[in-house]
Amino acid sequence: MTALHEVPAEGGGGDVKVPDADGRVPVVLLVNGAPHRVHVRTTEVLLDVLREDLKLVGARNGCGVGMCGACTILRDGRAVSSCLTLAVLCEGADLRTIEGLRGGGGEGGEGGEGGGLSRVQRAFLEHRAFQCSYCTSGFILALEALLAVDSHPTEAAVREAFSGHLCRCGSYSRIMAAARQAAGLPSRGGLARGAVTGGVTGCAPDEEPGR
Amino acid sequence: MSGTLDDSGAADSRAGDSRAAVPVAVGAAVGQSIDVLQARSRVDGTVEFALNAEVPGMTHARLLRSPYAHARIVSMDVSAAERLPGVVSVLTAADFDRPGAPHRYHGPVVRDQPVVCGRRVRFAGDPVAAVAAESEEIATAALDRIEVVYEELPRVTTVEEAMADGAPLVHDRPPEVRDHGYADVRLAGVGGNVCTKFQLRKGDVDAALAGSDVVVDRTYHTPAVQHVTMEPHVVLATYDRRACALSVLSSTQGPFAVRDALCEMFRLPSSSVRVVVPPLGGGYGAKTYAKFEPVAAALSWKAGRPVKLVLPRDEDFLSLTKHAATIRMRTGATFEGRLVARDVQIFFNGGAYADISPRLIKNGGYSCVGPYDIPHVRIDSYALYTNLPPAGAYRGYGVSQAAWAYEQQMDELADVLGIDPVELRRRNLLVKGEAYATGEIMDEAHWEALLDKAAAAVDWSPDSRRGTGPSGRLRGKGVAVILKSTVTPSTTHAAVRLDADGTMQVFSSAVEMGQGAHTVLAQLAADAAGIPVANVHVTAPDTQYTPYDQTTSSSRTTRAMGGAVTKAARVVRDRVRRLASELLEADPDDLVVSGGTVFVAGVPSRNLSVAEVCYRTRTGSISGDGDVVTSGGLDPETGQGVASDHWHEGAASAEVEIDPATGKVYVTNLYVAAYAGRVVNPKLARLQMHGSALFGMSHALYEELVFDNGVLTNPNLSEYSIVSMGDMPRHLEVELLEEPGEAGIHGLGETGLPPVIAALGNAVASATGARVRQLPMTPERVLQAMEARGATEERDALRGLEER
Repeated sequence: MTALHEVPAEGGGGDVKVPDADGRVPVVLLVNGAPHRVHVRTTEVLLDVLREDLKLVGARNGCGVGMCGACTILRDGRAVSSCLTLAVLCEGADLRTIEGLRGGGGEGGEGGEGGGLSRVQRAFLEHRAFQCSYCTSGFILALEALLAVDSHPTEAAVREAFSGHLCRCGSYSRIMAAARQAAGLPSRGGLARGAVTGGVTGCAPDEEPGR
Repeated sequence: MSGTLDDSGAADSRAGDSRAAVPVAVGAAVGQSIDVLQARSRVDGTVEFALNAEVPGMTHARLLRSPYAHARIVSMDVSAAERLPGVVSVLTAADFDRPGAPHRYHGPVVRDQPVVCGRRVRFAGDPVAAVAAESEEIATAALDRIEVVYEELPRVTTVEEAMADGAPLVHDRPPEVRDHGYADVRLAGVGGNVCTKFQLRKGDVDAALAGSDVVVDRTYHTPAVQHVTMEPHVVLATYDRRACALSVLSSTQGPFAVRDALCEMFRLPSSSVRVVVPPLGGGYGAKTYAKFEPVAAALSWKAGRPVKLVLPRDEDFLSLTKHAATIRMRTGATFEGRLVARDVQIFFNGGAYADISPRLIKNGGYSCVGPYDIPHVRIDSYALYTNLPPAGAYRGYGVSQAAWAYEQQMDELADVLGIDPVELRRRNLLVKGEAYATGEIMDEAHWEALLDKAAAAVDWSPDSRRGTGPSGRLRGKGVAVILKSTVTPSTTHAAVRLDADGTMQVFSSAVEMGQGAHTVLAQLAADAAGIPVANVHVTAPDTQYTPYDQTTSSSRTTRAMGGAVTKAARVVRDRVRRLASELLEADPDDLVVSGGTVFVAGVPSRNLSVAEVCYRTRTGSISGDGDVVTSGGLDPETGQGVASDHWHEGAASAEVEIDPATGKVYVTNLYVAAYAGRVVNPKLARLQMHGSALFGMSHALYEELVFDNGVLTNPNLSEYSIVSMGDMPRHLEVELLEEPGEAGIHGLGETGLPPVIAALGNAVASATGARVRQLPMTPERVLQAMEARGATEERDALRGLEER
């Protein structure tokens, strides 16, 4: 049996929890502002609890090793891989998923109760910054996390925030265009070819046809 | 030995004007960057991927896989696993050896792949047992309790090993050919570890090579790589014993290919097997034929409960790969730069099971000619069985391997001849009305325009190919042009139903996997029917209701399914015109249906809404069908015939900077162009081109599956690199060549990928003066090539001194 007393109780829980016969312990998770009482195995990762117990399916299984970013959620405002986060350690943390951005819950939500999307979500929608969109929740939350601490980030900071996120469909240019809009950075679409300066790890603009 | 899958002869004699595209109806929707259907669900997390699927009583599956590349199973004991509380069922080969049991083997061309292995495993990762349990955790724990005793066998993992005299055989007997397989696929040259062979013969290659002024003879290599769809394979199978019916929800690109495989496996009529496909989190070819549906279905059949299987990432890496290939290519030319002859032996590493190798190596074979007029051609293309994970469909479909070779060879030839590479290509490109090496006439040819655009995008000039950048970085430019076929013959059906309120359902089996298929189909249907696109709903594939479609693959959906939907919607439009004829007191031919309104041509004030027409004529709904059925086929001896209903044309150019100390390649400029004919949704079309460009760059520079004794050593993203945001070229540009008028739609799913790999190869060679003929072009390989070139130059210099 897992030595539960060795698990630090975060967020002022303080009580030592003894797993039941199934190896589960009761945990109260604060997800999108609402408390949820769940019984989790001590080895269970947050991603599985969100998807299976809470039916919050916007975070998705990608690689299981924290490399792809598809399972990203916000924990106390920071973007983390929920596939590497033990659920039992999340008691007391402020957890937010892509579903929590709805209803104006996210940055600069428009429309409030009408199920308005956040500014970042709207930018992704307007720029069609996705193809299959399996990775999209992760990219959106990564940017939300950045904008929460830095409302005027540099382009380098935005790219850094996306460094743990993979989009196999290859929508990176659109994702950066959406991020520029959401972060208030100037669009690069109008720059003439060759006029772009900066490092070779820059991100290409996506000029749209004039129609 | 040879098998024949089609007794009717190579060239399908079906009549019809298959090579003419269905003319596009252009109204308010086609050509517009309208929003993706259900776009909002893409950003708020609610899109219903297969991963989310649940049904009551569902069990969770895991597979036990062989740790050895090639071994005999001496014994297996599953009793301890079966006793584990929460385990519902354990499936092994023994379950198949009894009356009423399903077939244990499947495959789209030949039935050589076991659902679970019996006496023998053929690759490290081959499933030997499957467990269904109340939770995935229990299923995983059960795997540890299955005792398997293996006896390792000698293995072959490379094509060289597979072809060696006395090589261990991956399959002892020739595989069982599927009845009623695909008409374009035939087996030839089967024997030893040769799964199949394709050959093309045109002219007298030996004489032409002997008579050439120069001959370049090189061998090129490309490794196995993985698709890495962000969504892994997911299957939810429910076998209903009482009804003898099977229902499968799967992340597949081929709902009907899966249905047919399951019908054959379970000996069920197609009406008893239902395959439903939700949106996919990426496909790229990985999910084209039955993959894990057979094992999930068999497990459900045994367990009597629904079974959900979600592949962990490290197992998804073992599901299917892009074929590793070794390509020996000899090209002869005149001093003036006219191509005279090409001789190719291309060896595709097919892995342990045939999958769709027999078609892919055919396409990869005849594609080795490239978009060039070469009078004498000999191509021998082989699929080899090896003890590696099976290889199969992958975005580019054999062409990225072929183009990697032929477009590098063009630059090597240009260097030998002292002719600018762009100019050498220009002198040999196919033009409209010329015959391809298969004998078919090219009805369209836009390569010169594409090449010119690609060259201009990198400010190409013969003197600017190489240079030096800041801090001593080596700069180089490269171009490439390619052609790509589409699966031929092929069959697509669609149906639409206009309801009385003027909205329309499109019943299509096209899989939405991020490419925007459902959106462009809605656009095409709307304009063909004459109703607003907002009134169109496109159904998800459901083999119980949606008509047959071959597969969502081969860059074919917008053209083939789009054509079928267009025809179906026109049937409905014409019916609306006939119904409205009496109401509007006009001949049906004088009526126009547009924007949901029927009006008399030239008299817009005499109109009725479509809904009003339906109401007044007591019409409840109007249905229409449409199809696109293409013809073609190649002679098995000569490779002559019709390879492709139409051709995809692409070009790319690249500029790179290379750190001479590390060999690392930085892509500063990447340009991709494709002939599109007519673009239905520019924003989506361009996105797909971005995807192809970055896939190509990723294959060129980063991706390689590394096997050790046949065991995959890098089965996850922690060890296997794909292109990320930080790798993006400083400049990425995509361009679509359109033609005014009645130009047909040309698919764009793959065209941009193959030329990018080759253009980057040529740019690296321009920058360094050293050619890397083995993908990916890692820093190590670039440095090795530069060092080898240095050594060669030194040796040549010394020899020069001695001779003097």
